[in-house]
Amino acid sequence: MRKLRHRFLAPMVAVSALAVSLAACGGDGGGTAGSSASASQPGEKIKLTVALFSDFHYAPLYEAFKKTHPNVEIVERRSQFNDHHTNLITQLTTGAGAADVVAVEGGYIGAFTPVPDKFYNLKDYGLERRKSEYLDWKWQLGVSNDGSSLMGLGTDVGGLAMCYRPDLFKKAGLPADRDEVSALWPTWDAYIETGKKFVAAKVAGAKFTDGPGEHFRAMVEQAPVGFYDDQYKIVAGTNPEVRKAYDMSVKIVDEGLSAKLAAFTPPWNTGIAKGTFATMVCPAWKTGTIKDQKPGEGAWDIAAVPGGGGNQGGTHLMLPKQGKHPKEAAELIDLLTNKESQIMLFKEASALPSLPALYDDPAVADYVNPYFGNAPIGKIFTSAAKALKPQHVGPKAGDVLLAFNNGLQRVEQGKQNAEEAWTQALKDVGRIK
Amino acid sequence: MATRAPDRLAAVPPDGPVRSRHRLRRHLVHQLDVKGSPYAYVAPFFLLFSAFGLFPLAYTAWVSLHEWTLLSDEHTFVGLDNFRALLADDYFWNATFNTLSIGVLSTAPQLLLAIWLAHLLNRPLRAQTFFRVTLLLPNVTSVVAVVVIFSQLFGRDFGVINWMLGWFGVDGVAWNEGVATSHVAISVMIMWRWTGYNALIFLAAMQAVPRELYEAATLDGASGATQLRKITIPMIRPTIIFVVITSTIGAMQVLAEPLLFGTYSISGGPDRQYQTLSLLIYENFTKLDFGYASAISWMMFVFIVLVAGVNYLLTRRAKGGLT
Amino acid sequence: MSARTAAPAARRPRTTVPAARRSRSGAARRLTYLTLTAVAFFSALPLYYSVVVASRDNAALADVPPPLLPGGNLFANIARVFDTVPFALAMLNSVLVSGSIAIAVMFLSTLAGFAFAKLRFRGRNVLLVLTVATMMVPAQLGIIPLYMLMVKLEWTGTMYALIAPALINAFGVFFMTQYLSRALPTELLEAGRVDGCTTWGLFWHVVLPAARPAAAVLGMLTFMSAWNDYFWPLVVLTPEDPTVQVALSTLASGYVNDYVLGLAGTTLGTLPLVAVFALLGKQIIGGIMQGAVKG
Repeated sequence: MRKLRHRFLAPMVAVSALAVSLAACGGDGGGTAGSSASASQPGEKIKLTVALFSDFHYAPLYEAFKKTHPNVEIVERRSQFNDHHTNLITQLTTGAGAADVVAVEGGYIGAFTPVPDKFYNLKDYGLERRKSEYLDWKWQLGVSNDGSSLMGLGTDVGGLAMCYRPDLFKKAGLPADRDEVSALWPTWDAYIETGKKFVAAKVAGAKFTDGPGEHFRAMVEQAPVGFYDDQYKIVAGTNPEVRKAYDMSVKIVDEGLSAKLAAFTPPWNTGIAKGTFATMVCPAWKTGTIKDQKPGEGAWDIAAVPGGGGNQGGTHLMLPKQGKHPKEAAELIDLLTNKESQIMLFKEASALPSLPALYDDPAVADYVNPYFGNAPIGKIFTSAAKALKPQHVGPKAGDVLLAFNNGLQRVEQGKQNAEEAWTQALKDVGRIK
Repeated sequence: MATRAPDRLAAVPPDGPVRSRHRLRRHLVHQLDVKGSPYAYVAPFFLLFSAFGLFPLAYTAWVSLHEWTLLSDEHTFVGLDNFRALLADDYFWNATFNTLSIGVLSTAPQLLLAIWLAHLLNRPLRAQTFFRVTLLLPNVTSVVAVVVIFSQLFGRDFGVINWMLGWFGVDGVAWNEGVATSHVAISVMIMWRWTGYNALIFLAAMQAVPRELYEAATLDGASGATQLRKITIPMIRPTIIFVVITSTIGAMQVLAEPLLFGTYSISGGPDRQYQTLSLLIYENFTKLDFGYASAISWMMFVFIVLVAGVNYLLTRRAKGGLT
Repeated sequence: MSARTAAPAARRPRTTVPAARRSRSGAARRLTYLTLTAVAFFSALPLYYSVVVASRDNAALADVPPPLLPGGNLFANIARVFDTVPFALAMLNSVLVSGSIAIAVMFLSTLAGFAFAKLRFRGRNVLLVLTVATMMVPAQLGIIPLYMLMVKLEWTGTMYALIAPALINAFGVFFMTQYLSRALPTELLEAGRVDGCTTWGLFWHVVLPAARPAAAVLGMLTFMSAWNDYFWPLVVLTPEDPTVQVALSTLASGYVNDYVLGLAGTTLGTLPLVAVFALLGKQIIGGIMQGAVKG
């Protein structure tokens, strides 16, 4: 009776890296499309299910696909973000119920790349040819950890910027123009120095930034090696880059820059609307979150992220082995991710393309957003995405990040000093199997 | 449990003098009816439980003896290693403490309040249907609404409760940071959701108490409070035991409220200050450690049996004096 | 057929006014009303507030003080809900699922409760303790094995997967056992036996009428929890053929924090329940009064 309803699953899920390191679906079979599971005759009626975690605005692309595949019917399933990914894990574990095409977001992809045997190898359907079109790091995210299988094709990326409140900057006597603001913080050190100036100006009711968590994540992802080395072993405790990012984040707290608000909580939403903090780390898709809180047109503007480039989020399309029609499904994701589609989706859904050739396309490069003071967001976000180097994202990167974020929050809440929190965070990381 | 069964029923003699063969057959049918039908009546529950309850339970027990990672097909048998690790795990004992603390803080006042509300409603009132219906509203209100409302109530910067505390010179309580404050806030959420629900169950039981008892008590000049204490509570004792047990079970399994309160923090706050046992299971489940999560849930099962058993004995004893 | 007439006769005549009412002083009664009004106010507040937010936009959430009256966007937001998810189908599924579960639980729990409360059979106490013990099984980890079971039965994606495991539960059995052991007079059953009723006859003519008030409460609580059940349906159903809660879960999706759409949807999903309470409240909840049985 008193069934407990849990609406939201935890944001990060992953699997043991080395548990399944041998590929089950063999080597590079470039041109063997349709050889194995897909035995469907032309003209036979086929139903493809596509499982997404929000409206990707794919409807017109399905219509286009049906023109060349009149026998294919496409049914789209949409679920809530976390439910979508945990349901996928349940379906893969129990061997039934997964859709033909599934979207997997960047925070989760590391959970699946260690188990290539659960997904079709897209190389078998000729999709390796797309490699040259993609941002290198984005392409690598879709490759299995052992390198044997191409598991997913990228859709969008979440290029990073720094969103800021021009009104609060003016009040603090700082420049408010976005180019000048970008010039304030080429590095994270400079960002903190700017923050100190902001604090010194004593702007009533406003802190410099929301909290250190997203900053920490951005700094770690900018480094050549993050939580994992290239063997997918956790090196968070020994990698000096992680420690550097941690110390920098603690500094944000120590200098009194943080409003102590965790991202995506209701008080954080309120803070966006009311301007209780002046800056926040901003992937492309966060512009939608800001707009939803209705802070008012021009209240937030967009400048470059310190440290040069970065990415958060972005999605891949993958084909679970349970599907009966991998050939058609592969053709579908080929279409959904091609140049024309990505341009269309950028215009319709502000999904930042993952194909760098498009970054010079006027439709992307000249795009300005009136809600953010006509910020040239096409240019800002794409240059951030271009600047990023590939990093090996480990299977439990999300859990590692959570351990450090909890540590930073303990410092923020005055429960521990920086050293104690670091020690406990490493202990938590050590428990991750 | 606490049910007084009238065992005379089975002993009711077959009726009237009838011809012997006919009588014998009737007697046999009757015997079969009396002896067999109780099993048939309770069978649906046990059949359904065997089908959909027993398998998961056994499967989980099996999983708990393995190093079992979701998505991976390799499962290593490790015996009781998961349980051994569990008993040495600070986070497990921390979660046990939090569960008990939140359980006591939420259940005890909730049940007293529910009995009192049921008592108030157990009399002719104007608009009583309205009052009874509103009791259930918290239970049907969506979790999304509950999250939004309660984060507005307990917010640090713009929260209504801090605003009112401000009148008394108390400023900016960060409810989610402290152990005590977060437990209080979560208990308030639980009480808000479940008090009316339990009040309605009490009310249903109170309806079965004979009116004559109250009438006689009123003639003797007993006050409402005395009637509640001397008549109502003893008369609905089985229901009180029932609600104590179900609430205890509910409190031991509480997940939604701490999860929502922490806006989906699976560690129950950065310092695990409000991570309950269910949340700990949940955390390990999302980390795909199915083996360890299964072991925790079996330990939790044992705890629930213990706590519910103790509560059952306490309730029986405490109320025993009143009958 | 005295059993048939005995049950209605056992009901308290409607005209009886409990003495308690006469004795209450005006001040005490005012305090009662004041308390109940306060409780009603705090119980209804979040639901009312969801209507307020659902009829506005996300900016309303950040206003201090919060807005007190509904705005003008309710229908626009509800239209957005219907555009985004197959809401009518979801409603139909939810009514079907919750209705059949509630009816089955009421009937089967009364049956089992009757056996536990009033019939003597070997192993009764052990079985009752077992029943209660099944409630203590933590629900969270059942999901994966239960899903495996549904895969075997080929029930994933269908309403059977929701209805079948919920047809009866320990809570209901325990609840009806407790009620019947108190509220059903043994004399009534004995009289029925003397009249030649079989056990089934007793159940049908004596127990069911006497159980009505508690069964109504149980049915309502069951309907509510089935309607609001979220996690299992979400795992086992597909968004193409959802229940209300599954459909609503997709509203708050992706990277976006659109609380207004979420609250508009959940308000829409809750209002049918509230409407049922309001329309049938007198019959269901008020019925407790009329149905009360003398002990």
